[in-house]
Amino acid sequence: MLDCDQYLLPQSLDEAFDLIATHGSASQLVAGATDLLPWAREGRAGDVHIPVLIDITRSPDLNGVSKEGNRIRLGAATVFQKFLKDPILREHAPVMPHVAVWFADDQLRQSATIGGNLVNASPAADGTPGLMALDAELVLFSRADGERRVSVTEFPTGPSKSVLRDGELIIAVEFDSASGYGASFEKVGHRRSLVISTVCAATALKLDASGEKFEDVRIALAGVGPVPVRLSECEDALRGKPVTAAVIEAAANLPLDRVQSRTRQDYRREVVVNFVRRGIVDALASVGCDIEPSETRELETANG
Amino acid sequence: MADLNISMTVNGRSVEKTTAANSRLLDFIRNDLNLTGSKEGCGAGECGSCSVFVDGVLVKSCMVPVAKVDGAEIETVEGLAPRRQMTPVQRAFHKTGASQCGYCIPGMVMAATSILRENPQADLQEIKQGLGGNICRCTGYQKIFEAVELARDVINGKVPETALDEDEVGDSFVGANVRRLDAPSKVTGALRYAGDMVVPDMLHMQVLRSPHPHALIKSIDTADAEAIAGVEAVVTAADISGDGEFGVFVHDQPTLAAGKVRYVGEAIAAVAAESEVIAREAVKAIKIEFEELPAVFDPKIAMAEGGPVLHDYAQDNVTYHVPIRKGDTEKGFAEADVIVEQDYDTQPIEHAYLEPEAGLAYEEADGTITVHSPSQNITHHRHALSRILGMPINKVRMIMSPVGGGFGGKEDMHYQGFLALAALKACRPVRYVFTREESIIASAKRHGFKVRYRMGLKNDGRITATEMHMVSDGGAYGCSTEGVMRKSAILAAGPYNIPNVKIDAIGVYTNNTPAGAMRAFGALQSQFTTESHLDICAEKLGLDPFEIRRINMMQNGAITHTKQKLGAVSIGQVLEEAGKVSGWEAGAPIVRGPTRSDLGRDGNREPCTLVPRYTSPETPEEEVA
Repeated sequence: MLDCDQYLLPQSLDEAFDLIATHGSASQLVAGATDLLPWAREGRAGDVHIPVLIDITRSPDLNGVSKEGNRIRLGAATVFQKFLKDPILREHAPVMPHVAVWFADDQLRQSATIGGNLVNASPAADGTPGLMALDAELVLFSRADGERRVSVTEFPTGPSKSVLRDGELIIAVEFDSASGYGASFEKVGHRRSLVISTVCAATALKLDASGEKFEDVRIALAGVGPVPVRLSECEDALRGKPVTAAVIEAAANLPLDRVQSRTRQDYRREVVVNFVRRGIVDALASVGCDIEPSETRELETANG
Repeated sequence: MADLNISMTVNGRSVEKTTAANSRLLDFIRNDLNLTGSKEGCGAGECGSCSVFVDGVLVKSCMVPVAKVDGAEIETVEGLAPRRQMTPVQRAFHKTGASQCGYCIPGMVMAATSILRENPQADLQEIKQGLGGNICRCTGYQKIFEAVELARDVINGKVPETALDEDEVGDSFVGANVRRLDAPSKVTGALRYAGDMVVPDMLHMQVLRSPHPHALIKSIDTADAEAIAGVEAVVTAADISGDGEFGVFVHDQPTLAAGKVRYVGEAIAAVAAESEVIAREAVKAIKIEFEELPAVFDPKIAMAEGGPVLHDYAQDNVTYHVPIRKGDTEKGFAEADVIVEQDYDTQPIEHAYLEPEAGLAYEEADGTITVHSPSQNITHHRHALSRILGMPINKVRMIMSPVGGGFGGKEDMHYQGFLALAALKACRPVRYVFTREESIIASAKRHGFKVRYRMGLKNDGRITATEMHMVSDGGAYGCSTEGVMRKSAILAAGPYNIPNVKIDAIGVYTNNTPAGAMRAFGALQSQFTTESHLDICAEKLGLDPFEIRRINMMQNGAITHTKQKLGAVSIGQVLEEAGKVSGWEAGAPIVRGPTRSDLGRDGNREPCTLVPRYTSPETPEEEVA
């Protein structure tokens, strides 16, 4: 059970930093609360007493979606359901609706925030690979150091660990528009909804003017090790190459060893190959380019 | 703790209340507003029993601190329709039978409402995705999908509103689509389960449970807990005036652990206090000195000599042994052309009913103790209470509250004894509601079985002998183990004529969570092994799996292995029908080809389900103009 003496709702970033300064280590920040409440239960943290909970979701600086030129900015308190509903995000962050539809369920997506998902730094976070495929940058802010920016790829440093400093918040996420990119999100877990990914993969890709070659490809995985990873080798193997089943197959089967999970490594290795292949095929299909994948590896496995 | 002042609109009415700072929206609507239609099934955002609308958006109220939604407009299941009326969604749930225990149903109704408000034309796929955050354990999702489709079609005028009325019943109720009498109370959230019940002056209970699988209790010191303001009673084994040990068959289970704990999660002491928070604080203030003992978790090891002994009366750790002997199995094996041997393991299973255990106990003016709980065996529980409390049976009243799913898990008694004790000691009503985690750690499970199977057969498929040695993990206490052993043994060899049968079903004490009643009561485990074994034998003999069963099946008037004379035996008809509806292609398992002749291709079998109560009309002609 989560217990607190005060639950405070600052109306601005300034007020939030005042409260952080006043309450210091007696306080904890709250965004969507969907990680915090299940954490404070038997079997995990048990009964937890935090004197002051500071809910930062009402601050206007942490909310809203805006577009300036080719740059998109969204507040860290943006809830996941918004990726499915907001026209700007749907247009310019095409991978995120695919992520959102697999994230928890419709109801939790109304509470859970993108900033919370990042700070929680789960090795299996669904939001992080999605933002990695957008080459997103995180805007961090603290009273002491002001604003700094880090790439989403460099943000998590291990399970529940990140480069976030004491007294620092993620206030926004920024990225260049990926309008026109094909995108997909693949996820496997014990069931369809409300499940932590065993493996998930986010893919964003763009074809050249001819529509026959890969111009840009970004693939990110989570659930395979302590932090989500980009598959730059696969991306390099595809960039500039013709869109054929053979090219995709070769990229999917690159001898990478990105799986560093504590359990079920062989299973995850096989899933990764299949997810890279399917992720690319699905992302191509999302921009009207249908490719019949060759599934040589699956056949080999079945026969051997 | 500083309180919060909350003002919001709930079901169209303004509400202003002061509540605890850590209140979740679910706590606020259930405890402060007494709107108990929203249920708590897990408290972790998993089950959706608590779904409510906040400013028109469906959320899980157990995941929302109430402070967050101060000033919002809340709609709960009670607010969907005017009192004593139902929305088309609720009426459709009533019509299609989409409510069994009913505990998940308010949440399901809310999710269905949300789906159709969002998209009144939602197709089945959208409906399924929209219900993805809501879990049901007993109604089954099919009827719920049918209900949402029916409601959608009524709302859109695709079918007339009369489709929501009860179907006419002709000459017979057999085969007729009749509605459940209690469904309206479930789909509207009006029905009160034990955890929803509130009486004046009621205290809240929390329980101290064993962290050790096997340990001696050297001392219990409750002084600090009792000194906490708001604590009205702390009960331990020392408070039991009657016979402290109870059980379904053997009285081996203490109401509260006395001198020794035998599994992780065993109740040792219970606190009744003004609030759940105070009770939890008091539980932490109870000091216990343990002396850990070696523990045993494998029933086969528990049966071996020299290991830990759980109960003094059973030095071999055997709870109950059911032997069945018929004919001479050695002779049967000697006559056999083949002998097929195989080991089988089945796992313990948690029932995971959506309603965690709960109860309310109070003393009446005439000294009668009344306990409400979702008990599946109230007469037995009443007798057990009478013994535990040392009170005559006419002073013990046991009221079965609505059962939010049981599956046998609410048949073995675990908490009603100390709940009643606390109410008597505090002289005030006491309510106890388990958390989901507590329900899983403390309640009885399905027995895990280890089966050594040996079967002798002639080459033509006739069984000459069956030998089954079944060792089952009964956990720390007897509970329903004896009955489960009997049923598993009696039904073990299946409905087959076998001249020589030797069966042993042995329930064993271990330091695991006790095993108790669960659907099919032991028959499932033994039947699973027998039917699996017959499939293996069919493969070995090159016989069709249906055929090997037909060769051996009992006929009308057969005598069972335990000498019961049967009247009509229907296995032949069952096999015939099963073969027909499954599109079975006869042949030994080893020769079955990759191509389905009925489909003209390989691939998955078409889903075989019962005829739905509602299907959406497909052609425009069927639609209402």
